[in-house]
Amino acid sequence: MSDRLATGTSSLVGEVGRRPSRTLRSLLLSIAAVGAALALVPLWVGDSGVLMGVAVLGLAFACYTIGFNVIFGSTGQLFLSVGALAGIGGYGGAILADTVGLPVVVSIVLATLASGLTGGLLSFVAVRRSLGIIFTGIITLIFSLTFEALLLGLGNLTGGENGFFIESGANSFLRERIPPYYVMLALVLGFLLVHGLLRRSHVGWAWRALRDDEVTAELAGVDVARYRVYGALIGATMLGLAGATYAFTEGRVSPTTYGFAKVDVVVIVMLAFGGIGTLFGPILGAVTFTIVDEVLIGFGQLRLLVFGALILLLFLFLPQGVIPTVRNFIAKRWVSQAAASPD
Amino acid sequence: MIANVLDGIVLGLQFGLLAAGLTLVYGLGGVLNFAYGQMAVISAMVVVFAIDAGVPALPAVALGLVAGGLLGLLLDQTILRPVYRLQGEARVLLSLLLTLGVAFIVDGFLNWRYPLKALSLFIGGGPVEILGVPMRRGSLVASAITLVTFAALFAFFRFSTLGRAVRSVIEDEEGARLVGIDPARMMRLILIVSGVLAALVAVTRSMVVPVDVQAGFSITVFALIVTVVGGLGSVAGALLAGLILGIVNVIAADLIGTFMSLVILLGAAAVTILIRPSGLLGVKE
Amino acid sequence: MLEVSGLSAGYEGNDVVKDIAFHIDPGEAVMIIGSNGAGKTTLFRSVIGLIAPSSGEVRFQGEDITGVPAQRVVRRGISFVPAERHLFPRMTVLENLSLGAYPKRPDLETMTLVMDLFPRLDERRKQTAGTMSGGEQQMLAVGRALMSNPSLIVLDEPTTGLAPKLAAEAYEALGVLRKRGLTVLVAEQQVPLAMAFTDRGYVLENGRIRTEGTSAKLAADPDVRRAYLGIA
Repeated sequence: MSDRLATGTSSLVGEVGRRPSRTLRSLLLSIAAVGAALALVPLWVGDSGVLMGVAVLGLAFACYTIGFNVIFGSTGQLFLSVGALAGIGGYGGAILADTVGLPVVVSIVLATLASGLTGGLLSFVAVRRSLGIIFTGIITLIFSLTFEALLLGLGNLTGGENGFFIESGANSFLRERIPPYYVMLALVLGFLLVHGLLRRSHVGWAWRALRDDEVTAELAGVDVARYRVYGALIGATMLGLAGATYAFTEGRVSPTTYGFAKVDVVVIVMLAFGGIGTLFGPILGAVTFTIVDEVLIGFGQLRLLVFGALILLLFLFLPQGVIPTVRNFIAKRWVSQAAASPD
Repeated sequence: MIANVLDGIVLGLQFGLLAAGLTLVYGLGGVLNFAYGQMAVISAMVVVFAIDAGVPALPAVALGLVAGGLLGLLLDQTILRPVYRLQGEARVLLSLLLTLGVAFIVDGFLNWRYPLKALSLFIGGGPVEILGVPMRRGSLVASAITLVTFAALFAFFRFSTLGRAVRSVIEDEEGARLVGIDPARMMRLILIVSGVLAALVAVTRSMVVPVDVQAGFSITVFALIVTVVGGLGSVAGALLAGLILGIVNVIAADLIGTFMSLVILLGAAAVTILIRPSGLLGVKE
Repeated sequence: MLEVSGLSAGYEGNDVVKDIAFHIDPGEAVMIIGSNGAGKTTLFRSVIGLIAPSSGEVRFQGEDITGVPAQRVVRRGISFVPAERHLFPRMTVLENLSLGAYPKRPDLETMTLVMDLFPRLDERRKQTAGTMSGGEQQMLAVGRALMSNPSLIVLDEPTTGLAPKLAAEAYEALGVLRKRGLTVLVAEQQVPLAMAFTDRGYVLENGRIRTEGTSAKLAADPDVRRAYLGIA
């Protein structure tokens, strides 16, 4: 029966106010290490078209999760439009290439910009109307549902329920078995680098300040609104780029590819598992759940049940995610050892 | 045109009923129940199994309502325990995530085990004419039940001591404690009530269209949208928002087509939230 | 009637008040005075059960009520009027008062008494609490607290923000109730008013009781005069 004042999502986020402790060199080294490890994956599963497809999708989700991490983890905006923003990239790129006839690269760039601007706009509106975290979530959820409804309703443009096959780039290296993996891996590493550098910059400092205590941040001179919109712009751009690139590697787009249930829910769990606000949390989450999902494939509908059970367990026992929990554990051990040793 | 308005009212009443349970739980306890649709579906399944076992329709429905209430109680006593230890935004978020997990578990189980089950309460007899428009009997009975339910809710909150006690917790939790009201007990009561309302949603809806095991999430999402537009914590708001959105939906569907009418509905909801985040009849913070 | 010993309480592990001891006998009027931040509100909240004390004991009419949640404590005959009042803003004056008697239905005699004490409330029976002025809200808060026929009423800074005339009226009403046997515990920053009204007092400073004594003795105490009455 306590009278505690709660501070927003602090009890769920373990990274509030934590300065990244790495030097630039260690940042680059750790990203390179992750890249090297992931680069080896095709050595194991390169023979199977199906498994490579799963791996590419896994990397796409890693990209999505990094983007969501930038928006939610760094600036505290609950954007339930991850799938929709990626879908603007995917469908946008596909339509621009096939229907409008633009070159693939140009299509991807334009679609990415559209997605980024949409994300920025959503954030701008939310910030202007001072919508709290829940209402931002609701508005972005409505946006996602509207996007899905538009996909289904504007059948002539979007292929409706079935989507459509993308003809542009059909003969390019993007459709082969192995190269798409490295393309997506490049995106993942690039996103990690961008996020890592941002965290070390004044932007990252502003983000940490406004996550910690909005009022104090404003008093310290941080334009909270502006930095929130920056975060959304950058995160949404990542989502759009990943969505567009993935579409061209898959060769088709359909409403389920970017649906709320298929993307947003999974991304939230991946990030929560890895650790909201951590740099590598998204990678850990994406890898873990891609593997888990593959393992569960034989279970049919029970996959949903297991997924739900995992969500429950995760938020009941590991609300901060794996990386912060491990970090705290190590820190405590270190402190107690230092205290135990006579100096 | 009149036909559209009447259809809109029928749909609107359903929307309102959908939102009533959800808005009460949020207004009282700051908890977002994302498993609300699944509670409705489970109640529907209880009715289906009862009818299959030979129980006559009315007692079967009663069983379904009891099941709904029990589900609400179960939620309060189990999943929401850790949620109650938090306050404010953290509480809403955790409740959302945990109930989402429960929703997936229920959906996964039902879809795996009973993928084809559906509840359909057929109300016999031909169409009835209202204002010159033939209306299906099922729609009319469903609407009548909904209206009676809302009347009962209003009477409860306005005139009974217990109802006033519940309202007081929504108004000011600490003030309520200071007059001897236990917010936790009120929350438990309201969760049971919301469970019964969820069951009613399933039962009345099944008089219009069959309620199958996949209906869970769409029920929850619609309930959430109507709740937010109506104002979190306001039953009257839920009814008003439901009616408005129902009529808008039907007219839009008639003029434009089903998918785009959904877009209009979502757009209307978004516009309302942006202009007046506290909802039509909600409390301004 | 009320005995507090060794009480410490605070927020998030930090004790705001430490090792508090005081008592109130039936029929008395006792004041707790202290400047802002001294811990008066924390003290009251831990006694009434809105927060749990970290240590110590609270006994009311012989029974141990330490750490008992507020909703149960107020049913034993103690009423609390907090500084922020915590009225029900969209409910009417009548509804607010009726709820004061929860779980019982409001008793006509008590309602009449409250309306006589605060005629302004009688005039505004159907007005919603949120639309009333500060003074009227304060009266409503006190009225609501009285509806349960408490033996002890605890008030936290009841005159804050009230015009002097209204503040005097509030204490007049309490005076009437005292004659009927109500025991009063009040925390005040407006010290002169409290001094005139109460029999005894305690001075709370930085979370501890510094001085205690009869109100007359405290009124004459030079340190008290300097700190709280602005007299050099």
